[in-house]
Amino acid sequence: MKKKNITRYLATGMAGILAVGMLSGCTFGFASDPDDPNEEEKEIPIDMSVDTFSYDSSLEGTKITLLNSKAEIQVALTEMAEVFEEKSGVHIEVMPVTDGDSPYTKVVSLYNSGNPPTMAILDTTDVVALAEEKALDLSGEKWIEEAEQYVTRINDKVYSLPLCIEGRGLIYNKKAIEDALGKEFDPTSIQTLDQFTEFLDQLVDGGIEKPISVAKEDWSLGAHHLQYIYETYDGTSEGAQTVIEEIKDGKMDLETYDRLSEFLDMFDVLKEYNVAEGDPLGADYDEMAIDLADGKTAIWFNGNWAWPNLEEAGAETTDEYGFLPYFLNNDPDDFANRKIQASPSKQVMIDGEVATEKEQAAAKEFFNWIVYSEIGQQMLVKTCNLIPPFANNPNEPVDPLSRDIYNQIHNGTTFNASAIVPNDHWAVLGAAMQKYLADRCDREDLIGEIKDYWAEQE
Amino acid sequence: MKKKNNGKDFFIFALPGMFCFIAVVIIPFVYGLYLTLTDWNGVSAVKNFVGLSNFTKVFHDTQFWSSLLLTFKYVIAVVILVNVVAFFLAYLLTRGIKGQNFFRAGFFTPNLIGGIVLGYIWQFVFSRVFVSIGEYTGWELFGVSWLSDLNKAFAALVMVSVWQLSGYMILIYVAGFTGLNEDVMEAASIDGANGWIKMRKIVLPLMMSSITICLFLTLSRAFMVYDVNLSLTAGAPYGTTEMAAMHVYEKAFTSRQFGVGQAEAVILFIIVACISGLQVYLTKKREVEA
Repeated sequence: MKKKNITRYLATGMAGILAVGMLSGCTFGFASDPDDPNEEEKEIPIDMSVDTFSYDSSLEGTKITLLNSKAEIQVALTEMAEVFEEKSGVHIEVMPVTDGDSPYTKVVSLYNSGNPPTMAILDTTDVVALAEEKALDLSGEKWIEEAEQYVTRINDKVYSLPLCIEGRGLIYNKKAIEDALGKEFDPTSIQTLDQFTEFLDQLVDGGIEKPISVAKEDWSLGAHHLQYIYETYDGTSEGAQTVIEEIKDGKMDLETYDRLSEFLDMFDVLKEYNVAEGDPLGADYDEMAIDLADGKTAIWFNGNWAWPNLEEAGAETTDEYGFLPYFLNNDPDDFANRKIQASPSKQVMIDGEVATEKEQAAAKEFFNWIVYSEIGQQMLVKTCNLIPPFANNPNEPVDPLSRDIYNQIHNGTTFNASAIVPNDHWAVLGAAMQKYLADRCDREDLIGEIKDYWAEQE
Repeated sequence: MKKKNNGKDFFIFALPGMFCFIAVVIIPFVYGLYLTLTDWNGVSAVKNFVGLSNFTKVFHDTQFWSSLLLTFKYVIAVVILVNVVAFFLAYLLTRGIKGQNFFRAGFFTPNLIGGIVLGYIWQFVFSRVFVSIGEYTGWELFGVSWLSDLNKAFAALVMVSVWQLSGYMILIYVAGFTGLNEDVMEAASIDGANGWIKMRKIVLPLMMSSITICLFLTLSRAFMVYDVNLSLTAGAPYGTTEMAAMHVYEKAFTSRQFGVGQAEAVILFIIVACISGLQVYLTKKREVEA
């Protein structure tokens, strides 16, 4: 009898705890919970009163699919598709690439099962790998002239629409810096690596003990840090390709390649002032956003995609954040010290294999709607919060990071270079960079690993 | 009479199962074997026949062999720990201690949580909770995240796997213990056998069938570990905790060398099949009946 009672109390107690937890919508959890139910959606109103776009009525009722590999815009894209359907009668089903699945794996498995998406949002490297075999040739489309410098050409043909521009560099928190320095901060006043180090010392004197956050993630180290050595060759994608070919063919000696040693000089500075210097491989990504927003650090190496993390860490769109270049040397005239990297990252291609002509026409109309219609232009920038690569889009991004890149593009202080590297580059060399970050190998070992990696490539 | 029935039984009972088995196991397996002989990249329409060159590449893939070696270490640690822990917990939980049903359910719970979720939960524990404890108490063991040190990250993987797998094995061992014939135990006591002798001479031989099943399950699950590996360490720090299954996936999908990845998968399959087969054969031989 007694035993039964105990069991009963226990069960009631546990049920009670669970119920309270559910009702209060438990607020404990990770700092940046992507599906946080407590989060209030802030919507920026779209002006729908003007729409001069001419819709093709013969396409009404067509159903097409869009594979989305940019998880953070899934909701916004669905909304965009709904508005497009209202206006044009074309139904777009937006399919997400779930966490843990790579976009490439997903699209390949869809192709292999004979059921490819009509449109697919993919990284540039994936488009390059797939386009010639699977994608529809879009070289004759009108929107190319609006994004001339941002379209990707494969053997002189265009297979994809550049959806957005993304940039990366050293994100700074202006308020934190000004609080520490006690004076106004002008980001253009730093133009060399020495000036940058001096600036960091001033921050340390001002009370920010370790002013920098460096993410330990292999994609950050292997792709975003290390790829500067290709992209700063001359600041163009062609230049990056040239240097990659030279490294592959063994014509370029990495030990004497100045961009590599300059890159490592800069990386050493970042390492020295890293807030997680004691345990760099234990650094937590979410905590970095919190540290920057709180002013515990002043600089975080990342890209404009980090805004959602910062926002969840408490940053407001009215706060002042911006990007500093990845300083490589002490030559103030070197473009690498004055410009930040910004280039189209996500591309949309149309299936040229299975999709019917009508479906392809509907997809093309959607592209034109994004580029030319007043509503599409607004939604791309305001709803999806992307930086538009199209010169005719008059809308300015809302968040401070994208806004800074947008402004820097217009001021000419960005360089458009993206290196096309083998798909496992970030994973293999990211691991090598982690070792270097944690001081478990020296420069020579790291350069050796980079050499070995390229020697294996065909 | 018997003959007629046989055909009907086969169609009713065996055919649907066999159809599924052939469709989802045999055909993909044979197709996989075929892929090891081609240079397919996963997309292209043409698959060129390249003979055994993928297997030659496997022999030059040092990362694969080191991940395989790591997997062996992991399997040994996990199989021993899981079975020892599960065996003794099951032994305790069949002695009629207070609240033993509650404990049985409690120990089984981790097994109900999916590997991916489990990995993320423990990642939080290792890199946040432990570090906070370390900061608070000043203990060096918890000073830095376990996941940033290669030995501790490996220990973390083993710990989480043991925590997850033990529950299931406890269930099997509990079933084994409750099935033990009390008469035999009583007879042994009367003959003057003490606890340890009873365990060695009577309980262990009678439990051999449970041990066979548990060893087989832990062996195969430990060899094929992927989900916990992916969500807990993802190979970190710097690729040192990448197990064989994860390496195979990375080879095929990240490096986009389907042929080589598939060849590595086949080699992994042969190793696991041989070891599990040998284990079942050896432990089966030791099974006795009361």
